[in-house]
Amino acid sequence: MTAGTISVSNVSKFYGEVLGVNRVTVDIQPGLTGLVGPNGSGKSTLMHLLCGLLRPTRGSISVLGVSPDQPEELFRTVGYCTQYDSFPNGSTGSSFLNHTLALHGLDRAQADRRTREILDRVGLTEAGNRRIAGYSKGMRQRIKLAQAICHDPQVLILDEPLNGLDPMGRAEMIDLFKELARGGRHVIVSSHILHEVDLISDGVIMIHGGSVVAEGSIRAVRGEITAQPLQILVRCDQPHAIAARAFAMPHVVEARIVDGATGVLLRTTNAAAFFPELGRLILSSGVEVETVTPADESVHAVYDYLIGEGGGGR
Amino acid sequence: MTGGNSHGWPLWRRQITVLAVQEIGRSVFSRRALPVYLLAAMPIALALLRSIFMSESERAHPTHTTTEFAQVFHFFLLRFIVFFSAAVLFVKLFRGEILERSLHYHLLAPVRREVLAVGKYLGGVVASASILGATVVVTIVLFYLPHGRAGLSALTSASGLAEVAAYVATTVLACAAYGSLFLLAGLFFKNPMVPAVLFLGWEVLTPFLPGFLKVLSVVHYLGSLEPVPISQGPFALLAQPIPEWLAVAALVAISGGLLAIGAWKTRGLEVTYSAE
Repeated sequence: MTAGTISVSNVSKFYGEVLGVNRVTVDIQPGLTGLVGPNGSGKSTLMHLLCGLLRPTRGSISVLGVSPDQPEELFRTVGYCTQYDSFPNGSTGSSFLNHTLALHGLDRAQADRRTREILDRVGLTEAGNRRIAGYSKGMRQRIKLAQAICHDPQVLILDEPLNGLDPMGRAEMIDLFKELARGGRHVIVSSHILHEVDLISDGVIMIHGGSVVAEGSIRAVRGEITAQPLQILVRCDQPHAIAARAFAMPHVVEARIVDGATGVLLRTTNAAAFFPELGRLILSSGVEVETVTPADESVHAVYDYLIGEGGGGR
Repeated sequence: MTGGNSHGWPLWRRQITVLAVQEIGRSVFSRRALPVYLLAAMPIALALLRSIFMSESERAHPTHTTTEFAQVFHFFLLRFIVFFSAAVLFVKLFRGEILERSLHYHLLAPVRREVLAVGKYLGGVVASASILGATVVVTIVLFYLPHGRAGLSALTSASGLAEVAAYVATTVLACAAYGSLFLLAGLFFKNPMVPAVLFLGWEVLTPFLPGFLKVLSVVHYLGSLEPVPISQGPFALLAQPIPEWLAVAALVAISGGLLAIGAWKTRGLEVTYSAE
């Protein structure tokens, strides 16, 4: 447990007899971390526990060396954008942020200035003086995000932050998350849209039934799933030739021509041996290869192997 | 973070002020305050009706006005209006935000939970004391006004003004004491109206309780601060009157003690809106 990481150690949370999360142990490093799992898997519970909105039944949590039961210290470095789509009655975007900043100890002039900056950053400058009750779903999502980042936190926890945003808004927010993570911050994002998690995350935590089933970089997690052969897509001018010769390799279990004969999808049980052999095969066959890419080193594929239809394959 | 580097007391004082000001705004100027304004309008309406239906002989002699108001204050204003107004305002300090699913914003700020409880409570006290203190003043003025010059001179005399001040001070202390009780009820019970009604029953029974049980009620101390003694009826058990300083100290201690329990309770507060 170090001051620069987020450490969750053997944490369980029960709601009466209902399991929230069970014996979760993870260390989260700086960067963008995706928290992935189906509805009811325990993602929001874990995020609430990190922020002290819930107390663990057992285990301990440290966020950059601070316990979540010390809100005065914790929320100087942590910002949390929850999934709750509710706001204090009668608040405008500006008053909502201003109140938060005043609780951070800013005087009125500082809070006003910072409010304008943050509204501008999330694209709500024009709507700042309107009541939040009249905002669209996307605007409410943005004002929640503004509230989470207004104090420039080192740790940003975002529960389904892209919900309700249009494609342009999603792209803008993803850029913002990446920018925040590049600055050495911890940015933890939960999303059920796996494609987006894939796009933005440096690493993932996969949670299912209240337990963490995998954590780390997508490649590392995929590498540990030995029961599922690795899929490699080779785009080239002679996919049939590659398929025939690759199929002779003892560890290649499938070779399938795909996308109108513009590529071949190979499945191997031994990635370490496969890539050198593929290199030799390509050099000796004279085939013109456009790309060689892993086809299932994605959050979606890993999720499917561990949690979805192919679950239990680890 | 740009700015906001203060810690300890200076920060807590600032946060308490911010929270209290927000709570005053909500409790005085929002729809949440509507039931309180309706309650506050009732004694004023009563005083107006009294002035309309007052006979000419009663109008000419304000002799009984002091005792009439004392009874209205004790049995109607204090026991009913202030009690239920405090219930409406203080129960909602936490329970209201839990029901509107916005409490988490306060719990996600760098605010000690105890500071949150104190800030909200003080905001509630200022709001309720302002509304109900004004109600008391308007009601007492409307009691004396129909008596013309005699009524006005009675009201603006030194003893009259001292009475008004005593009634307002009693109201403020009632808001503080009942407020802390209902803040606690809002934190401990999903339906705080049940303990509120039970406590109202206890308060109503207070005159008929032996002395050692009377000390467990709020109205016992409030009654000692009222400037005009009133009869509690033939079945009331008399007790030694409490010195004013002791009554004030007891009410402050009750308020502080209940607030301290409430602040302790907020330390373990969890956000589980779906369970509410």
